Amino acid sequence: MTYKVTEEGNISTVFLQGEIDMDVTDKAKEVIMPLVEAKKEVHLNLKDVQYMDSSGISVLIESHQKANELGTKVILKDISKSVLKVIMMAKLEQVLNLG
Amino acid sequence: MNISESKDFLVNSASLKEVRIFSREIFEKIDINEDLKDELVLAIAEAAQNIVKHAYKNIDSKTDKMEIKISLKDSELEIGFFDKGRPVDTANVRHRKIDDVKPGGLGTFFIQQIMDAVVFKEGEKPWINHLVLTKKI
Repeated sequence: MTYKVTEEGNISTVFLQGEIDMDVTDKAKEVIMPLVEAKKEVHLNLKDVQYMDSSGISVLIESHQKANELGTKVILKDISKSVLKVIMMAKLEQVLNLG
Repeated sequence: MNISESKDFLVNSASLKEVRIFSREIFEKIDINEDLKDELVLAIAEAAQNIVKHAYKNIDSKTDKMEIKISLKDSELEIGFFDKGRPVDTANVRHRKIDDVKPGGLGTFFIQQIMDAVVFKEGEKPWINHLVLTKKI
């Protein structure tokens, strides 16, 4: 997994790329959670994420819940077909912010 | 088409990518749609992840291997997982309630959604655990 972060005002956009599985969830959290904790509105661009498993979904849930707790939000952008399918399989399309 | 292929993997999270590559290579030989291939690869990777996460929880082994065997006979797909970790307590193998949204507990749910049957067996020596996933395809 690789990533790039851009900032515009209070919005941080994290462009994730590659496969997100148990092996890289710590790395993904290290990128996303400090932005959430800084109360940024975090946009996760998932266009180039070809694979995500339950560990990756857990990162999405954890960051979403932390953002809610801190009064900000995490919005999932440009979700790839394969990731959307896993989100729907987990019945999270009404829970997470899909933008 | 009948298939029977198996491969050993080191029990660690870095092996999960290899597990997916191995599985996908086999499914490329079978006439099934891409969506089903993706689902089957996910189910296999989740089961392998459970071995790393649960059967080997707090067991620091850099050499132990798990074996994954994928067989197809008369449209019945059978995927076997063999490991030497802690014996699985099947009473504890359950996914979280799906509307109780929190991190974790989804891997087993995905496996059950995708496969027709999930059966834990006692592993024959040298194995401790033997998980069998089946699906008619």
